[in-house]
Amino acid sequence: MPERRGRSGVFPECPESEAGGSRSAQLRGECQTRYFAILGYSDESVIHVPGGLPGFENEREFLLIDRPSHRPLVFFQSLHTPHLCFLALPVLSVDGAYRLAMSPEDLAQLGLDTSRQPKVGGEVMCLAFIAAGGKRMLSANLLSPIVINLKTRVAVQAIQTGCHYSHRHPLLVEEPEADEPEPVCS
Amino acid sequence: MLVVRRRQGESLVIGEDIEVVILEAGPNRVKLGIMAPREVLVFRKELELTRQQNRAAATADVLNVLGNLSVERHV
Repeated sequence: MPERRGRSGVFPECPESEAGGSRSAQLRGECQTRYFAILGYSDESVIHVPGGLPGFENEREFLLIDRPSHRPLVFFQSLHTPHLCFLALPVLSVDGAYRLAMSPEDLAQLGLDTSRQPKVGGEVMCLAFIAAGGKRMLSANLLSPIVINLKTRVAVQAIQTGCHYSHRHPLLVEEPEADEPEPVCS
Repeated sequence: MLVVRRRQGESLVIGEDIEVVILEAGPNRVKLGIMAPREVLVFRKELELTRQQNRAAATADVLNVLGNLSVERHV
């Protein structure tokens, strides 16, 4: 169903509120989105990815769309390519014991202290992209999460170093509905 | 898979114009030097996996799979 156009759902400034960005912020423009029709956005709600994403090197500006009805899922929507929208989950909601292991280069790109790992939820937001591996199987990419500096809204897809997180961490596997054995012949 | 034992400072050659040198070898990691023509792409496998997975994530109808499940959850 087409959604009413309006300013909506962009954070990180207001992770608790559905209406995102600062209410007093000037709208910078409107973004045609893959799932939510047209959304207004302000400068404060744009996530900058200076190096782009592997496979999408020219995509450097995104909006983070958060809808209560879909939480903890968030939408990482390209600002300039309407059909490009990644679905993501906070890494800690996938693996509560997740530990970041960013390279010094990625830390420097985010303007963070290169001598230690940043605090997830405090200094940075850390999201894992979700992919579907079939009708009933989803996976989260824990090998290379999107790490967003909450202060500057600069992000990098940080390939983790020296760890064994999977790029296809199984997220949800449902047993096929097989209550009764299939008849051998009919 | 071809398995070759090499020591630090030794190298191996792939094809006519690619050479891989073992610069350092430690207990947990090795440092390689790769000499290859400019048109030969060399990158870490993790980067290629990330690229593939990003493409899969961008094209897959994840919301559809999730939508069915969230409807079930909310009932």
